[in-house]
Amino acid sequence: MDLGTLKRKMDEAHYIYDDTLITVLYVALRLNRPLLIEGAAGVGKTEIAKVMASALGRELVRMQCYEGLDESKSLYEWNYQKQLLSIQVNMGRKDSDELTRSLFGDEYLLERPLLKSIRSPEPVVLLIDEIDKSDEEFEAFLLELLSDMQVSIPEIGTIRATSIPFVVLTSNRARPISDALRRRCAYLYIEYPDAEKELAILRARLPHVDEGLAVQIVSAVQKFRSSEAILKKPSIAETLDWAQALEALGVRELTPEIMRGTVGFVLKNNEDIDMLDEILGTEECSDPDCSGDHENCEHSHEHHHHHHHG
Amino acid sequence: MADLDLGVYLEKLALFGRILRQEGLDITPNETADAVRILMELGFDDRTVVKTALRTVYAKSRDEQLRFDRIFDSFFLSEDAIRALDKKHTEQELEHAKAVEQAERELQGEADSLFYNEAQKEAYASLTEEEKQRLQNMKDRFMGPDSRNPELYANMIHSVFARSLMEQQMMLEDAAAAGQMAIDPEVGLLFRDISQFEDSEIPKAVYYIQDIAKRINGELTQKRKRSGRAAALDFRRTIRKGLETGGNFYRLAYRRRRMRKKQIVVLCDVSGSMIQFSEFVLRFIQSLNQASGSSRVFLFSEELREADAFHLQNMDLFRDYVRESGVYGRGTDLGSALNKLNEEKPPVLSPATMLLIVSDAKTVNVPLAVHELLRARSRAGKVFWLNPIPERRWKYLNSSQTMAELCTMISCSTLAELGAACRRLAFS
Repeated sequence: MDLGTLKRKMDEAHYIYDDTLITVLYVALRLNRPLLIEGAAGVGKTEIAKVMASALGRELVRMQCYEGLDESKSLYEWNYQKQLLSIQVNMGRKDSDELTRSLFGDEYLLERPLLKSIRSPEPVVLLIDEIDKSDEEFEAFLLELLSDMQVSIPEIGTIRATSIPFVVLTSNRARPISDALRRRCAYLYIEYPDAEKELAILRARLPHVDEGLAVQIVSAVQKFRSSEAILKKPSIAETLDWAQALEALGVRELTPEIMRGTVGFVLKNNEDIDMLDEILGTEECSDPDCSGDHENCEHSHEHHHHHHHG
Repeated sequence: MADLDLGVYLEKLALFGRILRQEGLDITPNETADAVRILMELGFDDRTVVKTALRTVYAKSRDEQLRFDRIFDSFFLSEDAIRALDKKHTEQELEHAKAVEQAERELQGEADSLFYNEAQKEAYASLTEEEKQRLQNMKDRFMGPDSRNPELYANMIHSVFARSLMEQQMMLEDAAAAGQMAIDPEVGLLFRDISQFEDSEIPKAVYYIQDIAKRINGELTQKRKRSGRAAALDFRRTIRKGLETGGNFYRLAYRRRRMRKKQIVVLCDVSGSMIQFSEFVLRFIQSLNQASGSSRVFLFSEELREADAFHLQNMDLFRDYVRESGVYGRGTDLGSALNKLNEEKPPVLSPATMLLIVSDAKTVNVPLAVHELLRARSRAGKVFWLNPIPERRWKYLNSSQTMAELCTMISCSTLAELGAACRRLAFS
């Protein structure tokens, strides 16, 4: 697959990308390297894996990391209950050696995401989400898997990958990822989209939202993100949620009142919501013809109009 | 693409890899092979694509990406940029040489012009015309006619000159340091002098502090877990777990080793210039819930007062509290503050405590401060000193230099340094 084909496939998946992102994805794909994505929460790290799966026409296998995640939750586990049951049922019937051997067959093996992704006959996209939440032991174990594409299960032996998955790791940088793991990966850092890109995303994902409303939503969200006072910055997904909610309410224009009523979709803690009035208060009029007294300013007229009827 | 071209490019790429390595990036031969492979496919025509592809292969963190960009941009210049840069460089060199020559001529008049070294001459050359004129006027006035004894005022004039030059040198060094600052807005705040923060930037700085503290706490948890593996077997939990699998002990449970939290005694300078910095340090220590169990905080300027835990929980309360306590905003007397701390009954300092001094070391009565610091050092287990003045400027300040020899002094003029210092404290 060349760069042009990848771009076309991303277009087909209605994903908004820039040249940097597409080049990075292409490099990772061609070199068969896992892709480590870092960035603030909500910039769309996980989304990249989902889109790659749909663009490449592969299944997405997802593994969410958390503190205490170990091999039995991520790689494989023996189905104890079934094994015990089998022992009870076949107690007198089979000879004991064969019984023991049969207990460690595929039938009793519970595949977890990592094993599933390398045993799949067709290559998949493996998403290892929030790797920074897992423990260092797990990271070391992952390293072995990613570099050799094989795992050893003591009772069975070494299992080699039947297909090489495209691996995407994401991290919110809650703790530093080891250098050894970094060195295996291609690295991508993403930031929040600028207004133009976010508007394009909004249009692509929710084409039926009113154009004027979309512009207002995006400019409000951008203002929240750039404000020093807001601690938890709104994510792209939250922008989309907000737009959907406003549309469901039949809102055509985002007035300060409506904003106050629905801002819970983008600002998720009390201190941030308290700052809303301050941010709205300092909001400069965006009309270039407006000289400050708002006499010829369209916005103030419109707002006024709405207040009147509302 | 012609083979010849390709050869040239590959040679350049190899050189580029070496430069990256010199600049501290970890470049393996494997990565260079990958870089070649990917560039053969993508071609060398589009500079942006080449840059992104190489960055993906070589840079492994945000920090490395920024470094990579800087090196790439200075290595792969466009033709025009090279020519323009060369011209500018030559002009600058000429101008600089002229200015230094001029400075030499002007300083020649001084009785002992040999005393001025190259760095001081350069500092003089970079002074504004006004400033130079001021110094020369001062000299003319005091030297007066030849009939006056030249020895009489020479020392005084010399010390005024030396002081002006030293201040200028400090400014030049600060400007050079500011030039190296990361331009990335996200990273920028971390690498800027804390005393230069504007009020509007403080909420963001506080957010970073919490973020860094969260990370340190995470690392501490990991450390505890790792060390937990070596601890004794927990029979009760092992047997309970074994019941799940019909009495077979598949997984063994270990006793968690309890981490002993450190007793930290913080001696915090809240004289006028220090309050912002002290507040940041206290925030860090507050956030490090894993590291500091029972910490006590003492505030001092000319007097010493213990801050109570309630007021430390909320920083707005803390500021008001400091203002009302009457300690705030006076001069600094470290010696008497340490003396009171040493005399405190029951004793505050013991071998189990770590004394953390947060101060810029600009104190009156240095000999007393030195004496009391030595006493405190013999009582406390460890003494750390967080100094908001950048290390490169200590050499100009006698008290900083003296204190640094007596205890572990860590320079933390930026949030990044402060974070690194707190990490060091937490793990020590």
